[in-house]
Amino acid sequence: MEAYVKLENVTKIYRMGEIEIRAADGIDFEIMKGEFVVIVGPSGAGKTTVLNVLGGMDTVTGGSIWVDGKDISKYSSTELTGYRRDDIGFVFQFYNLISNLTALENVELALQICRDPLSASSVLKDVGLGDRMKNFPAQLSGGEQQRVSIARALAKNPKLLLCDEPTGALDYNTGKAILKLLQDMCRERGMTVIVITHNSAIAPMADRVIKIKNGKVSEVTVNENPVSVETIEW
Amino acid sequence: MRKKALAKDFRMEIRNSLNRFLSIFFIVALGVAFFAGIRASEPDMRYSGDAYFDAHNMMDMKILSTLGLTEADIEAIQAVEGVEKVEPGYMIDVLALMGESERVIHVESLPETMNQVDVAEGRLPEKKGECIIDMDTAASYDIKIGDTLTFLSGTDTELSENLATEEYTVVGTCSSPMYISFNRGSTNIGSGEIDMFAYVTDESFDQEVYSQAYVTVKGAKGATAFTDSYREIVDKVKENVEGISDVRCDIRYAEIMDEANEKVAEAESELEEAKEEAKTELDEAEQELKDGEAKLADGKAELASSENDIREAKNKLYDSRTTLDDGWNQYNNGKTQMESGKAALEEAEKTLGENEAALADGESQIAEAEKNLVEKESELTTAEQGLSDAKALIDGLSTGWQQYQAGMSGLETLKNQLAQLEQLISAGMATPEQIAQAEQLRAVIAQTEAQMAEIKANLDAMEAMRPAAEEALAHEAEIIAGRAELEAGKSELEAKKSELAEGRKQLEAGKEELEERKTSLAEAEKALADSYNQLASGESAYITGWGQVNDGEVQIREAYATIAENEQKLADGWEEYEKGKKEAEEKISDAEIKIQDAKNEIDGIDKPSWYVNDRDSNSDYSGYSDNADRMRAIGSVFPVLFFLVAALVSLTTMTRMVEEQRIQIGTLKALGYSKFWIAAKYVGYALAATLGGSVAGVLFGQKVFPYIIVIAYKIMYIHIPDVVIPYDMGYALAASGTAVLCTMAATISACYRALQAQPAELMRPEAPKIGKRVFLERIPWIWGNLNFTWKSTVRNLLRYKKRFFMTVFGIGGCMALMIVGYGLKDSIMDIARLQYRKIQIYDLMAVIDEDIDTEEKKSIDMGLESDERICSYMDGYMRLSEVTLGDEKKDIYLYIPSELEGLDKFVTFNDRTSGDTWQMTEDSAILTEKAAKDMVVSVGDEIQIELEDNETITVTVTDICENYLSHYIYLAPQLYETLTGDVPPYNCIFADLKEEYEEELTQVGEELLKNDGILTVSYTNNMESQLEDMLSVLDSVIVVLIISAGMLAFVVLYNLNNININERKRELATLKVLGFYDMEVGNYVYRENILLTIIGAVAGVFLGKVLHQFVIQTVEVEMTMFGRNINMPSYLYAIGFTFLFSLLVNLVMYFKLKKINMVESLKSVE
Repeated sequence: MEAYVKLENVTKIYRMGEIEIRAADGIDFEIMKGEFVVIVGPSGAGKTTVLNVLGGMDTVTGGSIWVDGKDISKYSSTELTGYRRDDIGFVFQFYNLISNLTALENVELALQICRDPLSASSVLKDVGLGDRMKNFPAQLSGGEQQRVSIARALAKNPKLLLCDEPTGALDYNTGKAILKLLQDMCRERGMTVIVITHNSAIAPMADRVIKIKNGKVSEVTVNENPVSVETIEW
Repeated sequence: MRKKALAKDFRMEIRNSLNRFLSIFFIVALGVAFFAGIRASEPDMRYSGDAYFDAHNMMDMKILSTLGLTEADIEAIQAVEGVEKVEPGYMIDVLALMGESERVIHVESLPETMNQVDVAEGRLPEKKGECIIDMDTAASYDIKIGDTLTFLSGTDTELSENLATEEYTVVGTCSSPMYISFNRGSTNIGSGEIDMFAYVTDESFDQEVYSQAYVTVKGAKGATAFTDSYREIVDKVKENVEGISDVRCDIRYAEIMDEANEKVAEAESELEEAKEEAKTELDEAEQELKDGEAKLADGKAELASSENDIREAKNKLYDSRTTLDDGWNQYNNGKTQMESGKAALEEAEKTLGENEAALADGESQIAEAEKNLVEKESELTTAEQGLSDAKALIDGLSTGWQQYQAGMSGLETLKNQLAQLEQLISAGMATPEQIAQAEQLRAVIAQTEAQMAEIKANLDAMEAMRPAAEEALAHEAEIIAGRAELEAGKSELEAKKSELAEGRKQLEAGKEELEERKTSLAEAEKALADSYNQLASGESAYITGWGQVNDGEVQIREAYATIAENEQKLADGWEEYEKGKKEAEEKISDAEIKIQDAKNEIDGIDKPSWYVNDRDSNSDYSGYSDNADRMRAIGSVFPVLFFLVAALVSLTTMTRMVEEQRIQIGTLKALGYSKFWIAAKYVGYALAATLGGSVAGVLFGQKVFPYIIVIAYKIMYIHIPDVVIPYDMGYALAASGTAVLCTMAATISACYRALQAQPAELMRPEAPKIGKRVFLERIPWIWGNLNFTWKSTVRNLLRYKKRFFMTVFGIGGCMALMIVGYGLKDSIMDIARLQYRKIQIYDLMAVIDEDIDTEEKKSIDMGLESDERICSYMDGYMRLSEVTLGDEKKDIYLYIPSELEGLDKFVTFNDRTSGDTWQMTEDSAILTEKAAKDMVVSVGDEIQIELEDNETITVTVTDICENYLSHYIYLAPQLYETLTGDVPPYNCIFADLKEEYEEELTQVGEELLKNDGILTVSYTNNMESQLEDMLSVLDSVIVVLIISAGMLAFVVLYNLNNININERKRELATLKVLGFYDMEVGNYVYRENILLTIIGAVAGVFLGKVLHQFVIQTVEVEMTMFGRNINMPSYLYAIGFTFLFSLLVNLVMYFKLKKINMVESLKSVE
């Protein structure tokens, strides 16, 4: 099976005057279509860099990134915007909802710019917010806001769903529920989901676990039998 | 350092948010600069003016008298309390031909110390016939140094009565502090307006009394011109001077009257004399004529007698011919006799001459002999003398030698005695006496020896002469013989001498006889000559006689002609006499009439009055003051709003900054920093920016704004050279203080709010505002059609009300300022046009002399009537009157037209707001708008108008009409008549020219002025252009206002957008992550900006309109009302600029948006 996402010797070097910071120092990994992937590693290991370059929010210094057969590392900034727009769904740690728009409108906001979106209200129903659609973010709990955020990402019908610490700002149970939602989406819709977290406890629920340490991939584990999130305790 | 970290944080904060820091800095700088600068402009204008006037020692007062000022007047003025110095001078308005046209020149004597002129070119006049002229107009009339101006009198008075000469050489050009702008004043000659001024020396004037006096007031120089303190000082002295004016005028009046009466009396006595003289002359002439007649009669008689005489004379002449012929015969006989006598006499004379010569010969021989004798005698005498001398010498010698011998023997004796003594001495037997004796002897011997030697020498010398003496003695006999011979010669000579004397006597007798004969002959000859002469004269008398007779006959013929002539002359003379008599009578009656006229004139001499004018009566000066007042008015309103906007925006910025940094504040608090140190950062930040901005603003604004404004005013006041721009600490501190206070208060209150909260609370993101549905959502057909970004925008705008209002106010404020700037221009610049093209549409106004007689008035009217250039004219009454309503008093022009019909050709009455036009009716009393407003008069109110002679009438105001310049109360003539019972004393003529002749306006005016009854003529087009000139200066000021407002608008927009973007970085980054293109992200922001700009602009239009009304009313000076209009282009310009700035700011923001890092979206909420 051909890898859906493939990083080849990706390096990212920040220059701060005299000092070079190698945020990514030759990262290689592959991800198959429809997989639920967890990228774990301690703070400062290079997770966010991976997320940034994979999400088209930043360019790489070296190496190439293949997504669905296209090398996005060669993209211009406009092409990258198009890539983000059409191929990537993003779930933020702090939800990043537009506070002046209702839940529905927040989803629709993302939809108005993409090619073949899903129905906003049905996605919101799917994430369990069928009756909170008209509420403003400030009227929703953190978990609910994160659900809106996920709905916004899913509704775009992206190739990849990138989640940056999606449970970081949530309490334990809500976090679990969100992870469940993501896992369900992956399973039900065949969506490729990449969750970036420092919490290695959730690794068992992933199809593939990529551990990153000091800007390098230290270990890639393919989990033949991922467990449901309900069974995991941390 | 404990707070080292904080200090670093502070520095970093400024560096990282440099554009925010600079925004505050510039907004405050602009606000302070504008406020302090514009405010300081007015005092700076006054300082500049004051410096100029002080430097040129400008007078504080000018005193004019209708009958001139005498030396005594000047002294009296000098003595007035508070008067520093008085400088009397002369002045006159004259005409001069320049090119084709006649110009009016105001000629004044050069004051010594006051009103000093600045010589631009050439030099000051130094002697009679030189002048220095107005540099501003010299060029426009093409007059150069060296040109000669010939002055002409503009009145009936001969120029020579006032000026010493008519020709003036231009020696220089200059400017004068009395003429700081283009206004040269008005006059009652020529076109009525002075075209140029000229200064000459005192000698160029030939006036008995001074025409004016300049006065400086003690302490006035120290005060700043145009200020109340200056006016107070001068007013007090002005009152003092006015106090003495009545007394001085009485004195002057008495003086003039005395002089005039004296002159009349003189004229009267002269007339009497002349009458007397004329009578005498006439009588004399009559007498002369009568005498002439008598003489003529006499002449005729005389003529007859002289004819008789001639006949007689002819007869006499025939007689005298015979007598003459006899005479001639006698004469010829006598002549022959006399010639023979003459020959005999000549013979005798010859003989006598011979005898005399012989006698003379003998006499000379005797003289010779006598001379020889005398010679010989003297020789003989000398010889005799020599002989006696020789004898004496020889005798002397013999005696001498004997004496010598005796002497020598004596000596020998002495020597012997001595020898004996010496023998004794040498033998030693000598007594002392003997020794002494010997000594004595020795001395005697020596002495005697010397004497003897001398005697011998003498004798030897005499011995040398002895031979000669002996020779002489030998000739003694010879000498005795010579003596005897001489005596014989002498007696012979005596005999000869007596012989000769006898001959001489005989000769003398002969001579005498001869003389006698000669005399008798001469007498006979003379008698003969006499008779010849008599005959000759008889002959000539005879000829003359005939000539006389002939002449006489001619004369008689002539006399007949003369008599005829004289008879004619006499007849003429009588005629002339009659004529002369009549003439004299006429002249006398003329003179009597003239004297009567003079008497009437004297009765007509008004008591003189003084005009004490201070500087304010110089229209250039007061215009400058008005301009400064306008500047103050602008400064009192405009900068406040400007400042308000600036303060508000910096306040907002600081509040935002504190709110943005909640987490940092919380962290510091959690770390245990005191509230004071946490707040210090923000307060310090605000203080640094505001204080820095304030200082920069004051330094910049207080120099640049007044400079621009004063320079702008210099376009009009070209001769005020010194731009004096001191820093005005009052305004500087007020502006800076307020700015600092505003931002500090805002910062402290924001900090206080933040610091009250718990650290944990602070570190959590602020609970987002509850999303609210806005009212628009209730209108589905709008809301439904909006896309999400629009929805978001609308909600954004409406939910953050504070930001919304701040932005709207900021943009609206700047927009309003620009509208006010443009609006001021519209309102101010239009008034000249409105006043003279819409309201007072007549072309010229002529002031008539009050004492004009009806005849003259009629002829003026006829002239106007027949002038084809004039469309229509009308009499009117115009007088500045005091109008009262309750306690309100105001000086207003009372204007009464002579007719109501056709009045619309001169004045338009209309309501400004509604635009309704109405006609004056028989009971109309129309008040102008500004006066009505100032006095709070409305239609239906009763007002009192003071007339001449302190009479007062009460009228009901029927309408209030649009008017911009001065105040008027228009009364219908019928109303006036009803109220006073009199016809208004019309004192002016208004005329409107036909359109095609409007260019000939000045000519029409000049022709009018030639009438004695016309005092002045003023033209509305001149007033319009003057007013426009004056107001045009405001134009540049307004440009300054507009540019400043524009700059503020730009900074405010930038700052507000900057805040907006900073606040929403996360949101924008999220959009970017969601895949929004840069343009889409931009639009998301811009939509809001554009909406805010539109809303701000709309608000600005209203705010501007309101503010403009306020500003324009504040800016107005007492005598003028400015328009209330803002023209459409002004709104468009203001809106255009606001949008242009908005666009520019958005363009700048686009780059800032592009730089927003998507990674921001991953950060936690701050």
